[in-house]
Amino acid sequence: MTDKPKENKLLEYWNAFATLVKRHPHVQYLIFGLVLVLFGYLSSVGVLPSYYNSVFAYIIIFTIVALGLNLLLGFSGLISLASSSFIGVGALGTGVFLNLGLPFEIAALLAIVSAAIIGSLIGLLSSKISGIYLAISTLFIAEILRQIFTSLEMFGGERLDIGTVELLGFLELSRNSRAQRFYLFAIMAIVMAVMMMVTYNIIKSRSGRAFMGISRSENSAAAMGISPLKYRVMAFTIATIFAAVAGVLYALYYQNAPTRQWGLLQSLTIIAIVVVGGFKSIYGMFLGAFIIHGLSELFLKELLGDVSYIFSGILLIVVILFYPKGVAHIWVDIRKLYYKFKYRNKEKDVIKDET
Amino acid sequence: MDNFLSILFNSLQTGSVYALAALAIVLIFRTSKTTNFAQGSIGTLNAYVGALVLSSWGWSIWAVAPVSILTAFLTGVLIDTFIIRPAAKVNRIAKQIITLGLIMIITGITPFLFGVDPYQLPRFIPSGSVDVLGASLRFNTVFTVLISLVLMGAIFWFIQKTKWGLAIRVTASNEVTSKLMGVPTKTVTMMSWATAAMLGTLAALIIAPSGSVNPNMMFNVQVSAFFAGVFGGFQTFYGPVLAAFIIAFARNTTAFYVTDIWGDVLVYMVILVFLFFKPYGIFGKAPVKKV
Repeated sequence: MTDKPKENKLLEYWNAFATLVKRHPHVQYLIFGLVLVLFGYLSSVGVLPSYYNSVFAYIIIFTIVALGLNLLLGFSGLISLASSSFIGVGALGTGVFLNLGLPFEIAALLAIVSAAIIGSLIGLLSSKISGIYLAISTLFIAEILRQIFTSLEMFGGERLDIGTVELLGFLELSRNSRAQRFYLFAIMAIVMAVMMMVTYNIIKSRSGRAFMGISRSENSAAAMGISPLKYRVMAFTIATIFAAVAGVLYALYYQNAPTRQWGLLQSLTIIAIVVVGGFKSIYGMFLGAFIIHGLSELFLKELLGDVSYIFSGILLIVVILFYPKGVAHIWVDIRKLYYKFKYRNKEKDVIKDET
Repeated sequence: MDNFLSILFNSLQTGSVYALAALAIVLIFRTSKTTNFAQGSIGTLNAYVGALVLSSWGWSIWAVAPVSILTAFLTGVLIDTFIIRPAAKVNRIAKQIITLGLIMIITGITPFLFGVDPYQLPRFIPSGSVDVLGASLRFNTVFTVLISLVLMGAIFWFIQKTKWGLAIRVTASNEVTSKLMGVPTKTVTMMSWATAAMLGTLAALIIAPSGSVNPNMMFNVQVSAFFAGVFGGFQTFYGPVLAAFIIAFARNTTAFYVTDIWGDVLVYMVILVFLFFKPYGIFGKAPVKKV
């Protein structure tokens, strides 16, 4: 008897919490980020293997790029083959500005701004060029950037070493120390949660609806007073900003930036993540990144060797052919199935009662 | 003058390789309404088959080439039957992404099938050259340029003058209507995939001796062929072929006379600016869209 009110109170708290989460998806994203932080903590103290940390860091990077690409591919119906190059702009740009002696925050900001400028240029290009011509134009940009990365001396040839990063002017973090690496991981997870919130806000805003309108029919959207040019430029700029943020995180966590990695194959991997995860889904991007990058790095590599490309290629085709909504949609289908069974059983009961 | 001539000869060789690949891409673009991003990878796969036959049985390149072309034909048919045809209903972007998936599968599978060491393929005509105004012109270059030109001429003739060519053109213009008119569009699409795979493989066999047979050997060709497609316009069959030669020549000239490293970048920039003002390429016209 004495316990009951306490239990009720707990239940009340729980209910209040549940409604809070339901009403504010932002809280969900924050919790998701915190869970990841906890996961990183477990692997840094040795409960989970420590290389999980590194793999999940890459998954986070891919998730952020995929969130940006999803705005293009899923919402606006535009395809970009240069998303990997913009991670490169973020990572290498941060490195170059850091080597000039700027503080990390300003270096990161400058790198993101320079990526955004290139992104908006592509957006402007897209005002004239469309369809497959646009996709290949982004390939031009990717090739030009690749040439710049590998030939300019300031990017250091093979890789650009960054070394210990100083945050906020006093917090020095090096990836060589296990505890500090966990802090770096925690920062990444939180940034990812923030980017998820930003994506949510964009999707639910006027611009998000405009993106979707353009992807359905540009002419109808234009007739409704939505300027396709404005929103195309916006979509491209946002996507490149996301990729550049991912690049900054790459520079922060790995503390060096290779120059040859940012090619077409990685862009393809990111497209695979968006497709497998599910167009227009936010958690789907994380799920896709986990399936494409995580599964092959964590499990398949030990069993079968380096099969990541084959695996993601096959998955990509299978998902497009048989499950075009993406893996994130499985939840909805399972729930539908569950209600179907429940409803059917109830219906049977009702029929029994009547007879 | 001799420098200019050797650039010209060089451009003719690379240009014909680009042109073969570009023609293959346009063929598929027109009949299947998708861009085959995996064009280069299919060529690479079959070049590997050729290199494997050559190194394990010691056949000459003249015997190996038909084997590669045959396997290319099979690859094209298989891809069309098992991947492209079931995907007839998916939207355009998803179709393109499927071919991107093909790149990943092929790139991933080559180390398992053929090992990680690069192979070597010899030239069709191993030695011998002739002096033209001070620039040396290899017999092999003459041969490869000639065979590509003859082949492309034959394909253009086929497309323009024969009944099957007519079938290709009507499928390209409107698949549903041509199906209603009794054109076997399935066979047409399958044959275009097979032909495209064979053209890509031929391009790979021509380009292989100047480097080695490795998973990335066709990357440059592939990208250039796409650029040629965009630059020449996908609406015609001849536009991309001409653009391929223009791009090869422009790249070699800028690389030699202007800058070594930034030649490509310069050419790409010029093409991008050009596309901004003429979005459908040199020979293309804006497609008429019914709303």
